[in-house]
Amino acid sequence: MSVSEQSPPVAPVAAPRDRWRTINLVAGLAVIATLGILLSGQSIAQFPARVILLIGLVVLAAGLLRGRAHKFFSGPSAYFATASLLLLIVLAIFATELSPQNPYDLRQLDIMDGRLPPGSTTFDGAMTFHLGTDEQGRDILSGILYGLRVSLSVSIFATLAAMVIGVVVGIYAAWAGGRIESILMRIVDFQLSFPSILVALMLMAAFGRGLDKIVIALIIVQWAYYARTVRGTALSEARKEYIDAARGLGLPAYRIVFGHLLPNCIPPLIVISTVQVANTIVLESSLSFLGVGVPITQPSLGLLIANGYGYMLSGQYWMSMYPGVALLAIVASINMVGDRLRDTLNPRLQK
Amino acid sequence: MTSPVIRRLAILAMAAAIPALPLAAQELRIGLASEPSSADPHFHNLGPNNQLRRNVFESLVGTDEAQQLTPQLATSWEPVGENGWQFNLRTDVTFSDGSPFDAYDVIYTVCRIPGVPDSPSLFTTYTGAITGFEVPDPHTLIMLTAEAYPLLPTEVSTFGIISARANGVDGSTIAFSPEGCGDLNYPATQAFNDTTAAIGTGPFLMESFRRGEGIELVRNPDYWGEPAPWERVTMLPLTSEGPRVAALIAGDVDLVENPPLQDLERLRGDETLRVVQGISNRVIYIHLDHEQVPSPMIRGVDGVNPLQDIRVREALTIGINRDAIVERIMGGVAVSAGELLPPGMFGAHEEGDLPPAVFDPERAQALLAEAGYPDGFGITLGTPNDRYINDAQVAQAVAQMWARIGIDADVDASTASTFFSRRNAFEFSAYMAGWGSGTGEMSSPLKALLATRDPDRGFGGTNRGQYSNPAMDDLLTEALRTVDDDARQELLRSASRMAMADFAIIPLHYEVTPWAMRATIDYAPRADQYTLPYDVRPAQ
Repeated sequence: MSVSEQSPPVAPVAAPRDRWRTINLVAGLAVIATLGILLSGQSIAQFPARVILLIGLVVLAAGLLRGRAHKFFSGPSAYFATASLLLLIVLAIFATELSPQNPYDLRQLDIMDGRLPPGSTTFDGAMTFHLGTDEQGRDILSGILYGLRVSLSVSIFATLAAMVIGVVVGIYAAWAGGRIESILMRIVDFQLSFPSILVALMLMAAFGRGLDKIVIALIIVQWAYYARTVRGTALSEARKEYIDAARGLGLPAYRIVFGHLLPNCIPPLIVISTVQVANTIVLESSLSFLGVGVPITQPSLGLLIANGYGYMLSGQYWMSMYPGVALLAIVASINMVGDRLRDTLNPRLQK
Repeated sequence: MTSPVIRRLAILAMAAAIPALPLAAQELRIGLASEPSSADPHFHNLGPNNQLRRNVFESLVGTDEAQQLTPQLATSWEPVGENGWQFNLRTDVTFSDGSPFDAYDVIYTVCRIPGVPDSPSLFTTYTGAITGFEVPDPHTLIMLTAEAYPLLPTEVSTFGIISARANGVDGSTIAFSPEGCGDLNYPATQAFNDTTAAIGTGPFLMESFRRGEGIELVRNPDYWGEPAPWERVTMLPLTSEGPRVAALIAGDVDLVENPPLQDLERLRGDETLRVVQGISNRVIYIHLDHEQVPSPMIRGVDGVNPLQDIRVREALTIGINRDAIVERIMGGVAVSAGELLPPGMFGAHEEGDLPPAVFDPERAQALLAEAGYPDGFGITLGTPNDRYINDAQVAQAVAQMWARIGIDADVDASTASTFFSRRNAFEFSAYMAGWGSGTGEMSSPLKALLATRDPDRGFGGTNRGQYSNPAMDDLLTEALRTVDDDARQELLRSASRMAMADFAIIPLHYEVTPWAMRATIDYAPRADQYTLPYDVRPAQ
């Protein structure tokens, strides 16, 4: 069957489409930039940065679903998953404003408040711990909100960065061909032959703890997926008539690759990257759970679960359970949204 | 695959059958918290290895629950001359292959210790002082040292004796030299692991040693002392806390080491189980960087090391609420520490004579202001996160308390191997670690942690804060030369008092070691944290 019918060659000059592309590009850059700012711990313009981040994400999603919204929202589960994902993202982005305590500020913690069950108050009654506290006296609710933020921002940033690297390598391999392609793809094969959790564990053991280090480790273990996917798609696209046509017009290689080849490789990328964000969250949580991820004074969801894990048998369930529920919710909703996206974007499933 | 019902019935049947069996036929199954790296008694100076060694190989001098010395292969010992110790050996002891035990086996053992191939940690720490032997008769042994050496009986309690004859060596022909005695057909480490060389005088024989699977011991029928109460002992490595406790509750093992603190309450409430606990010789402490300027993990100061100011060290010490840590993080299973060894052990102060620093955050803030840091400074506290009981949680609690006196504290927690290599490279300005006194007396922590670093004398080997106080060094050196126990104890106490008055190190708490077991058996807690099946007895 001919795929070109479904994904037509890039139209010469289509004004609305170009506008959307620019908007998406700006939104994507804004998301990466603000995530970078937030991850690097710059406190300047924190609140505006977060608002921009939220707007950027929403615009990206809107651009993606433009014209396909009815197909995407074809059942109640799509509405449910999108709503819960949006809610969790808003909670994560505005954790600072929403949470009753800053769980990363040691001055606000008191071990005398440690291991209180849900609904307890501090000694002076100034604050209620709606979901209880962990053994450091950290409010679990605040910990979850901040932990969501760490998990989401680390995963989105690492996924986007891994995608950029993977796309560059994959497209270059497909376009260059020959020995370069073989070498690059053998590197990819080599990388994919190791379980990512194992590689990430070794990297973290070598790097030490830290948000920046976990992002680097996650990028290193993920880029190969994108490289392989992009190369496959690019190889099949490169044989099509519109590329020949572009060549015939005498366009320079960079314009053919970035203007024609790359845009047509995007849909499968979006699908894997959505699922991959969920995988990255799980990977980051696993690393933190195993004690090599985020710093212990800045717990993510995985570390919160690990901290409470030892108390499960003794009945103090809330320390592990609520962060676990939050992790489940975020991973499940991302996966459901990813599924819907795949169904929406995959031409083969169009009937 | 047996169905759970059948398995339960089988357990019931076994439970019903046990009282009918003669006590001596019973089997003891132990859940180990950490696994020995080898069955070779001299391969690795490591707690789990030393614990296993004591079942099969004995030493001249034994230690009781409080690490006081007791006769074992030697019935008595006394100093002779200026620089010697005479050990009078038992005459009724044979190794498990039938060869008799005598003084030459001790010499053979001391000869083997320095040359064990690939050893991660040699026992030369404990044999290095020996310069020669005299053997007036086969059951009298005189050990010579370069100078008067009061710790020798303590040190010979740390290594197990192997047989010269069993390895085809006539002990009387050995020419001992501290540099090495030549090739004496020493058994290989692997030969101990496959049990062919596991020939000792202990109450048990090694039947099998399989890493990751378990260790099986059987009673030594020819043991010179009272026979072991167990026909067979199985030790299973159950290094994860949850499965270890679950195995005890399910009846798969009879006794577990180190049940997790958070489960103790529940275990105590179970009438079929018994929990015992005893204070250990291990202190958890924070070492501060006394040497590097600027110090690597201190922020917000201009090229100085605030930890060199005694007022800052005092502020950091009294800013910690030890009782809160003991109660909230350690679940009450720890004792606040005022020095490096708990009361009751040799060289430590009597209860109350050197109490833990009193928590006083106001005074701590005043001291910081006085020292020129009214707004505090930034410091990162390094800690392992899988080495000591709740280590990372304790470090976090300390950081929390320091934050409250105005210090911008955070915690750098890493796995033990990473942590220790970074610590040894002096990467930390402050780090939390623990020290168990191998000899059970005060010179061990003082020598390792606080004496001025001097590799030639074995001083300050773990003094990674590089504390140096010549007056304390002198007291310690004097103590290490004094054979008279009372005088030595007084010198050690003075040295400890001097270091504590200088806030050289911040003691946090002494670990308390718990054991959990069936209510039908009993075990006396040991300060050295060893689990010795010989001393596990059916409950009265």
